[in-house]
Amino acid sequence: MKQVYFLILFLALSFSFFSQGFQVNFQGQKQQGMGCSGTALFQDGASLFFNPGSTAFAKESSINIATTPIFANVLYVDSTTGQGYRTENPVGTPFSAYGLFNLKKTPSIKLGLAVYTPFGSTVQWEKNWIGRFALTRLELKAIFIQPTISYRINDKIGIGAGFVLSTGNVNLQKDIPVQDSLGNYGHAELAGKALGFGYNVGIHYDVTEKLSIGITYRSKVQMNLNDGKATFTVPTSLDSNFPDGKFTGGLPLPQVTTLGFAFKANEKLTFVLDINHVGWKAYDTLAFDYTNNTTSLLDTKSPRNYKNIFAFRGGVSYDLIKNLEVRAGGGFGFTPVQNGYVTPETPDANRAYATFGLGYFFGKHFSMDASLYYTHLKRTDKNLETNLNGTFTTNAIAPGIAFVYKF
Amino acid sequence: MKKHIKYFLSLLVFASLVSCKPKYEAPQTSKGEIDPSRFVMIGGGHVAGYMNDGLTYDGQLNSLANIIAGQLQQVGGGDFNQPFVNQNSVGISLNGLASLKLGYKTDCEGVSSLSPVRLASSGDVNIWNDQLYNSTLPFGNFGIPDFKLANINSSSWTSSNPFYSRMASAANATVKNEILASNPSFFSIFLGVDEVLEYAKSGGTINNLPSSIDFENQYADFISSLVQNGAKGAVANIPDVTKMPFFTTIPWNGLTLDEANAQTLNNIYGQIGFSFELGSNPFMVTDSSANMFGMRQILNGEKLLLSLPLDSVKCNQMGVLFPFRDEFYLDLNEINYLSSRIESYNNSIRSIAAQYNLAVVDAEKFISTLNDGFTYNGVTMSAKFVSGGAYSLDGIYFNPKGNALFANEFLKAINKKYNARIPLVDAGKFNSTFFP
Repeated sequence: MKQVYFLILFLALSFSFFSQGFQVNFQGQKQQGMGCSGTALFQDGASLFFNPGSTAFAKESSINIATTPIFANVLYVDSTTGQGYRTENPVGTPFSAYGLFNLKKTPSIKLGLAVYTPFGSTVQWEKNWIGRFALTRLELKAIFIQPTISYRINDKIGIGAGFVLSTGNVNLQKDIPVQDSLGNYGHAELAGKALGFGYNVGIHYDVTEKLSIGITYRSKVQMNLNDGKATFTVPTSLDSNFPDGKFTGGLPLPQVTTLGFAFKANEKLTFVLDINHVGWKAYDTLAFDYTNNTTSLLDTKSPRNYKNIFAFRGGVSYDLIKNLEVRAGGGFGFTPVQNGYVTPETPDANRAYATFGLGYFFGKHFSMDASLYYTHLKRTDKNLETNLNGTFTTNAIAPGIAFVYKF
Repeated sequence: MKKHIKYFLSLLVFASLVSCKPKYEAPQTSKGEIDPSRFVMIGGGHVAGYMNDGLTYDGQLNSLANIIAGQLQQVGGGDFNQPFVNQNSVGISLNGLASLKLGYKTDCEGVSSLSPVRLASSGDVNIWNDQLYNSTLPFGNFGIPDFKLANINSSSWTSSNPFYSRMASAANATVKNEILASNPSFFSIFLGVDEVLEYAKSGGTINNLPSSIDFENQYADFISSLVQNGAKGAVANIPDVTKMPFFTTIPWNGLTLDEANAQTLNNIYGQIGFSFELGSNPFMVTDSSANMFGMRQILNGEKLLLSLPLDSVKCNQMGVLFPFRDEFYLDLNEINYLSSRIESYNNSIRSIAAQYNLAVVDAEKFISTLNDGFTYNGVTMSAKFVSGGAYSLDGIYFNPKGNALFANEFLKAINKKYNARIPLVDAGKFNSTFFP
């Protein structure tokens, strides 16, 4: 057991991912096993993220801890030179922790606390890659802390709402095309802490014994970076052109509206389907406003022009033998990144993915879930701002594990 | 329990191992219809690797010709020999000076600022004494600073051009015969530039521009001998050289005056009809046809040259009380004359290229696009002096990055004309000006 705790601690030190845009959907192992869906199906504490309305139907209190290491590799092949360049991304480790509590005196009300990492990525490109003046490294981390209250209106309908406090870190680096006397290029590092607020509300409705519907709305969270630090490494003679100093910026984490269905075909077999609408249109510009401007250091406004998208996710679970549940699923999401706007930070594309999962119950209190996610992306584009012209190919595999304790 | 954890951990390890790096497959290359085995490139300083007003080893390594040859080698091109100067040499300019670097210079007012400075007090004349001809290793780079078409059949060019004499097989060898001797299978030409540069750099005071008919005959004659054994090639047209930083850096109205100085100048020049005001004003230039005093204010559109002695401008009233002499600016007539000449030469180049079915490189468009500025893989490139990133410190010849960008124009034209798939070069890997 000790090894496992150590493993979790270790992985929790850093966390990240890329995904549709830069959104992660690794918030619950049971849901991950079933195609990252489950808005209309109460599973465990992870439902605090997927649908705070469904947690109103929890029969027990539970604590749930999970992590999903992500092994993502991107290859960029430049269209003009034919040269290939790779990312050397560190392993991303989104984690989640959920606590869901029954109140003895008022059983229709549940309290929950969810801590999860819905957005984030670390993209590290290989040294001296062709796009080094656009990006060398981007680290994006956001932790959402969501205290939640759920209320069971009657036997069929539950509602819930959570307040979201989001803290995050951004670290963006790229090379500057000025060379010192030894030929080394300059380097820029923009780093800062971001803070944002939002909410997560949902409703769960058991239409029949077998069919339930869930609707959720997770609000946009505007991550504002008000006290960023810009550090420039440039030849001495250009120091005054690139003064270190403060900058401000912001990044919108989009709203997500979900309609979900769950269908219990029989005691052993359950199907789920989620339809997400993601408000990526909010991400229209990546702007940096430097406190100390010079002729060489102007405020930047890089167009992103993301568009709103739909994603479809579905899955199935089956009680194979006593105490063992097997799951499978998959999904398809449209990319929010339009042609001409693909960047090395989010080399996104329409994506299909497949997932598998297992759940094992060790008696009454303790259970474990594991999942596996795989996707493959390919996108050829010529970016309108940088003129980088090439093909990004991404492979990602993400095995996850969760420990659930019910009491 | 332990068993399960082991399973999971091994799954983790497995996942990280297969973590599925996308497979890189090199895109297909092809030489198309050309035979790149014996490639020569012919031209002036731009082709030679002349940069920072000098020929240096580093410049030659990054010469337009060498970069193109390097890409041709990916589709079967052979060795490419250049008349290298010594690796540690300070280089030598057309005028015998050492090449330039960016350093600090203290001006007449005692102000120290970033400026091009010479690497040494004089150029490395040993370069001019080299004898590098080797019959077993024929040169591929026939980029020779100050190479004009009129020199091509001259049996005495070695005596007037030391950059040629160091690579010639004999004192009386014509450069055309030198080029043909190795039987090139593919050639690339950027000629005619030195003719127009000589005129433009002299402010129009030296006019050896060939007549249109002479240019066409010389060009056609040269091409016809190059293609006689079936060689194919790419020829570049001639850019508008007045778009280079040498002609665009000093603004025509860069004379900044305060109220008092403007008044003083008005007292002096007001009587002959020139007025000055607070702020930006045109410099004064000599012009014998302007009036009985032979001077006037420079006009918007006329070009001041980077050869101007800037200290005299700052401290000794040059361009103000002492008008700029004719050799320091191009007037509108000269600019129009030059541009009509370039146009007629380019018409010849285009029709000769069509006649011999050669690829045409639009150097004119490249220089013009650079003048407007463009973004290359996230880097803004322009024709701005020093900061533009493509021109070397002489304001005329490219730095390595500029050469790489220009080389890509040649490769694109060759690919298109001859159905080849020669990969372009990543210009981002080439150096720009180094800052102290």
